[in-house]
Amino acid sequence: MISKVIRRTHMYLALFLGPWILMYALSTMFMNHRGGGPGAPPPAFEVERERDYAPSFPAGAGREQRAERILADLGLTGAYSLPGGPAQQGRLTILRQDPVTPRRITYQPDTGKLTIEKLTFRWSNFLERLHRRRGYQHRFALEDFWAVSVDLVIVAMVFWVLSGLWMWWEMKVTRFWGGVFALLGAGLFAFFLVTL
Amino acid sequence: MTFPHFVRRLHLYLGMFLLPWFLMYGVSSLPFSHNEWFRERPQWTTRADRPYDLEAPPDADLRQLGGRILADLGMSGAYGVYRPNHRQISVYCPNFLRPTRITYDLDKKRLLAEDRRFHGPQFLTGMHARGGFEQDSTLNDAWGVTVDVVCIAMILWIATGVYMWWQLPACRGWGWLAVGGGIVSFALFMMAL
Repeated sequence: MISKVIRRTHMYLALFLGPWILMYALSTMFMNHRGGGPGAPPPAFEVERERDYAPSFPAGAGREQRAERILADLGLTGAYSLPGGPAQQGRLTILRQDPVTPRRITYQPDTGKLTIEKLTFRWSNFLERLHRRRGYQHRFALEDFWAVSVDLVIVAMVFWVLSGLWMWWEMKVTRFWGGVFALLGAGLFAFFLVTL
Repeated sequence: MTFPHFVRRLHLYLGMFLLPWFLMYGVSSLPFSHNEWFRERPQWTTRADRPYDLEAPPDADLRQLGGRILADLGMSGAYGVYRPNHRQISVYCPNFLRPTRITYDLDKKRLLAEDRRFHGPQFLTGMHARGGFEQDSTLNDAWGVTVDVVCIAMILWIATGVYMWWQLPACRGWGWLAVGGGIVSFALFMMAL
């Protein structure tokens, strides 16, 4: 019974987390071949739209409050960061961390203009952004759900190792060659560990 | 050997060989995802601290400067160089167990080389983040190749896993639910995050 539970959990967990594993595999390959020298120029922001904007922020509203109000008015609520210090002559720049289309929103109170720019899409950058997205530092429930999914992948990876070992040991016919491959892998890993 | 038999053995033996890498990538993701759990900072011990004078104009080739600094310290191996500000050059020599950082202060004309004492979380994150082929080192390239092999293996595990699932008619119902649930969840994250 326990063996069946382990086998089924191993399989169903993998079927569910397939998209995450595929994303981590492809993004790692991109990052592994990115190179340290000057490569392709970084993706650029392009203006998506500009509009007049005259919000009435509450008195004493901080940068975060103003940024969240602007994002809400644009229908872009979600994880963001505020680059630069407070001394920007009243100008507010918001980086909306959308995984597919990151945007830079600039509000200039002196002209009453709101400029929305989006980052040119590139598969390598998109996958790398997803790869690096984790943690519970944002105040949005959806970000926490993503962080939980990342944690689930971590737990699953350890579980797949342990359950894989269990299943291998149960199949007497594969014990020898499985042991050979395990020893070769462990030996090569140990070699890298002491030499690199 | 039949094709289903080959698929099952490939799934298993690939897993057995790459088990240390897969375990490392899993466990080492924890310090990235839960940085707040690992607050203890690494400790560094001084390897060399001495006067040093090296011409380093702002437009100098950093890679060359880094190589020269390493040679003057009697060191070799993989390294990275960066210039955090115009008065400092930093060289980092990655090593899984004991990396070295070198700071050249152009104002004080002082060279400081420090080795990091073993630090579990940074040992793990260092392994996790290591890759690429930009170093002039066969061993580093070999590690880069293993990173690629792990990535290809992950894609093969997905493909062979789906194949093996399909060979079990009794599991197709729950399997479809897991596959569909995973794809829909992932797609929703992409649309809503």
